[in-house]
Order: sequence, then structure tokens, then C-alpha cells
Amino acid sequence: MGSMTSRRLPVLALLCAIAMLASACGGGDGKPAAIKVVIAEYSRDHTRPFWQGLAEQYTKQTGVKVDLQVVDWNSIDQQVSTMIQNNQPPDVLNLNSFSSYAKDGLLYSADEALSPKTREDFLEAFARGGTYRGTLYGFPILASARAFFYNRDLLERAKVEPPRTWDELVAAARKVQALGNGTIGYALPLGPEEAQAEWSIWMWNNGGDWKSGDAWTINSDKNVQTLTFLAALANTHRVTQVNPGKTNRTDGAFQLFKDGKVGMVMGFSPLAAQLDAEGKVRYGVTQMPTNVGTAVTLGVEDYLMAFKKKGNQEAVRQFLDLYYQPDQITRWITAERFLPVTRSGLARMRDNEKLKPYLDALPSARLAPTTDPVWDKVKLDVQQSIGLAVQPGGDPRAVLDRLQKNAVESAR
Amino acid sequence: MVVYPAVELVRASLGRYSITGLYQGAVGLRNYARLLDQEALPTVVANTVTWVALVVGVTIVISLGLAQLLNAAFPGRRLVRWALIVPWAAALIMTAKLFAWLYDYYFGLINRALVAAGVLRAPVDWLGDDRAVMGAMIAVGVFVSLPFTTYVLLAGLETIPGEVYEAARVDGASGWRAYRGITLPLLRPALLVAAVLNLIYVFNSFPIVWTLNDRNPGFAHDTMITYMYKIAFKSALRDVGLAAALGVVNVALILIAVLAYLKVAWVREEPA
Repeated sequence: MGSMTSRRLPVLALLCAIAMLASACGGGDGKPAAIKVVIAEYSRDHTRPFWQGLAEQYTKQTGVKVDLQVVDWNSIDQQVSTMIQNNQPPDVLNLNSFSSYAKDGLLYSADEALSPKTREDFLEAFARGGTYRGTLYGFPILASARAFFYNRDLLERAKVEPPRTWDELVAAARKVQALGNGTIGYALPLGPEEAQAEWSIWMWNNGGDWKSGDAWTINSDKNVQTLTFLAALANTHRVTQVNPGKTNRTDGAFQLFKDGKVGMVMGFSPLAAQLDAEGKVRYGVTQMPTNVGTAVTLGVEDYLMAFKKKGNQEAVRQFLDLYYQPDQITRWITAERFLPVTRSGLARMRDNEKLKPYLDALPSARLAPTTDPVWDKVKLDVQQSIGLAVQPGGDPRAVLDRLQKNAVESAR
Repeated sequence: MVVYPAVELVRASLGRYSITGLYQGAVGLRNYARLLDQEALPTVVANTVTWVALVVGVTIVISLGLAQLLNAAFPGRRLVRWALIVPWAAALIMTAKLFAWLYDYYFGLINRALVAAGVLRAPVDWLGDDRAVMGAMIAVGVFVSLPFTTYVLLAGLETIPGEVYEAARVDGASGWRAYRGITLPLLRPALLVAAVLNLIYVFNSFPIVWTLNDRNPGFAHDTMITYMYKIAFKSALRDVGLAAALGVVNVALILIAVLAYLKVAWVREEPA
């Protein structure tokens, strides 16, 4: 008996190996043993617990295991790139861009990876923001909108109202800065972390844009005027923190605002969550100051993507449909304090008082041109260069000319 | 273990990759040619030379003093020897983050202390002011390199027998003369080890430069290692093929530098 087993074991192992190979490489209806799900870490407290729970529920329902990887934003681009280089892409990926992956033909479309019910639940604007050449590939996972934050105590002490226009902003910032003792009028983060977001808002509120139709318009006269204005905020009016071109958002501008040193900053709902938790700063939230009459804000949509791999289509569809069940997606988005991307989610979250300013801002929110794969490069280029324009001696026009040239070359 | 990644690196440097990391075919040596066209390259090379030369040089000079100090008998020597290990044992990324806070313009202790002591009249933006960034990074580089270097030199000092110094004293040589005539020559093997290992280690160092420089746009303060990472993932190039080419150049450069250093050191070792 003993000897029989030991002689048979290798054969069995070999058969198993062949069976596993077959199921991994071939078979349309055979489901994979596991799917790899890569999620960006939005917060320590909520991201992993939610997705871990979702994965367990999914495995219970389908028998398919989930290899869940929660990756911090700093290294997610690198890790995903490495997976693709090694021909081991994830099955499901969460990221802030999608069109380059769609362009490379790596993704399932919404028709292939989502049930019709899920597909139809997406809010129109966010479905449009995930569309590459007429097909939906980037499924909205959550959204956020920027809003204008001000420190109530500092503005009261400076005897100014929250500004509605750029002129009022300059005046208010001067008065706050004049309070002295290291007080900063407006915290302007144009360092590499998220410069494109800050810049978008200023640009739009002066009537400029990234593109006009299919053509890039980064160095339009309007945009040169906007960047010159920002440089003047820093170097002529001197109402920003030191070296705004070399200040990041999270550990720079937000940190200063949370410390009560800053009069005004552009923030978003997760910043409000942190301010509430710390209870140190009395703050207000309002719409962006504008130079053209109508205030515009930036909406940001992040994506879920489903990677084409043999035999994973059904498993991926089931996973995505589970996430998009109204209870699931709403529970997570609420916990992270982001904004809904589905009709059913909007209906459930509309009454949330804390989200009101951001939900009110959503109709006037614009998205960056994420549907154009060239944007994935333009964004990085802006991050690495726009800050240089607001340093002493910086040349706004030259910086924008350069960005425009690179964008046009990438588009070819 | 060593060969496989090297082969992969060379292979990647010969390929064209999409921004997503998807392989799109072989391009021969084109990535190497493109590397030479990069406008930032001269700055980055100059930064790398400054960074490596100053960190290694200053580290060795300070470590010589520290090793001498720790070799002398004094009360609490054991404690000081242990304390010196701390910056070495701490994860580099944590040390770098700690220094980012210490250097901070608004919150940092360094500005507060220097202004209070009257050394500075106004705070300095150590990590944002172009004149200060490299120096600030080098100081941290030296700080984390000291423990290892000091211990290598200390081990070297402990191999020098006491009788040699006694003989020298009898001949009338002491103090600085004994140090130059006996200690330094007999320390040469230890110095060689310290210099070569630091050369490799400091050249390849990523976390300090990356963390302390992360707020600065562009490539004005990057070394060849952080520039490689930016080419691959954080700049408009976003090209792992081009980054791999720079990676191959980096490995080749450090090999050449080490061999050249060893050659010079060996030549000097020969009796005249």
C-alpha cells in the first residue's frame, strides 16, 4: 500500500500540473483558480478592510480565490508597469488613468466585462470620462471634486469675506498674509505630486483649457496669463508659502492648512475628513474664485479596468458586478468620503450633509482630458515642470510653450 | 542570483515599451543613443559626481576621527559604540523622512535651532532652495554612512599592535607624526574596503535623494539612480526601455570606477 502510493504520486502530480496548465492557458468555460485584483490605497483605515471583505464574499459565491494587492499611490505605476512587462497583468486594476491601457488593447470593454444593469447605472459624465474612441473601458470606481477651503478664524481676523473673484482673492490673501507671524494668504502647491490638478482649476477659472476640440492649447494666451498671475501671487504679491513651485499638496499645502497657518487652499472631501478628525481648524468650504464669471471646479474620476486574459472574463464580470452592487460601492465611497459615480449611489448619498458642498460643485466640475492617451504623458510633464514657472525668474510662457510642444509631439 | 537581473536589464534596454510597460519589439541600441540626447543628462551626471565624491570623502574623514575616538579607552565607550549603530540600523526611507521634517521650512527643528542660536537670521528652505538642496542631501548621506565606515576603520585600528607605537615613541615619533607614519599606512587595507564599498553604496543610494528631493519639479537635483526611476515612471518619457539603458550604463560606470580606484590603490601599494 505504502509503496503503491509513493510510486503513483509523481504521476498524479504531473497530471495535476497538466490540468492546471490547461485551465490557465486554454479553456473558455473553465474558470480561473484565482484572479489578481490591484487596488490603490485611498486610506489606511478603509481601503484594505473593504476590499478584503469584498474578496471574501466573492470567493464564497464563486469559488474563485482573489489575490488582492492594495498598493500605495507612490509606487502603483511602477508595480503595474512591472506586472505588464513580465506578462503578468492584473485581472482587475484600479488607477487614475485608463486610456493608455485601452490603446494598447489590454482591456475588456464595458460590454464584455459588465452586466447591462451595472453599465446603465453609471452617471453619464463619468461614463463619458472612461470612454476611449467611443467605447467604455475605464469604469468609474469613485469620484471627487475640489472645493475652496478657508480658515474662518484667519479670515475673520483679517476682516475679509471668502473671495469670489481673483481680485478679491489677491486682496484677501494680502490681508491674511499681513496678519504676520508666519501666516500664509493662499497655499499654492505646484510641486510634482498633483500640480496638474491645481493648475487645471486656475486655468479653467480664467477661461483657458487643455484642449480645444482635438488640438492641445496648453500655451494659449489665456493660459500664459493665468500662469503669470500665479507667478505674481508668489513673487510680486508674496501671499503664498515659500517656494510654491516646490511644494507638494499632501505634506505641503494641506499640512500647512491643517496646522492653521494658511488662509485659503483648494481642497477636497478627504481633507475635510482629516480636518474634522483633528478639530484644530475652524474652516469653511465654498466655490472656486473665478476670473470669468462662472466658477469651475475639477472633478476627478478614478477607474476600474478589466484586463483581457484567457478564461477570466466571467470571473472578472462577477467580481465587478459584486463591487457595483449599490450597497457595496456606496458603503466604500461613503467611508472614504468620496463622491458617487452611479445613479443609485447618488440617490443614496444626496442627503449626506457633509458631502453637500462637493455634490453641489459636481454639476460645474470638469474632468482632465483623461480619455486621450496623450494626457498620461502631459500630466507627468506638467508635474515635472509647471512649478518652475512660478519660481523667482521663472518664465511662464517658455514653460507652457515647452509643454505644448511635447504634447503635440506625443500626439503624433 | 546576480546574473539573471543583469540579463533582464540588458534585454529591457534593447526593447521599445509603451507607457503601460507593454513590450513592442526590439530597437537595438536606439535607447542608448536617445539617452545621450536627454537635456538633463549633464546636470544629472554632475550631480552624481558631486554626491558620490562628497558623501564618500566627508564620510571617510569624519569616520577616521570617530574611529580614533572609539579606539581610545574612555568611560561609556561601549554605549557610544552602540549608539553609533542607530542611523545604520534604521531603515533609510524612515531616516530620510525624518530629515525631511527636520529640514522643513515651517516646522523643522534645524531652522528653529539655527535661528535661535543666531547662526541664521531667517529660516532657509533647505529642500526647496536650489543652492541648499544638494548640501542638505549630502549631509544626510554622510550621516547614514558614518556607522559602517567607522566600524570598518575601527576594526582596522584594532589590528595595529600597540608595540609599533611604543617603538615609534622610543624613536621620538608621537602624535600627528605617528598617525601619519604608522596609523594611516597600516589602515590602508581598511580604508580601501571602506572607500570601495561606500562608492558602490552611495552611488546606488535611492531613498535619501528621492525623499528629500520629491517636492522639486524637474531634474535639477537628481542623481543617475533617481533620474533612472523618473525616466521609467515619473516623467513624460515614461519609458522603461530608456530607463533600462541608463541602468546598464550605471552598472558599467560603477564597475569602471571601482576597478580604476582599486588599480590606483594597488599601484600605490607597491613599494617605491
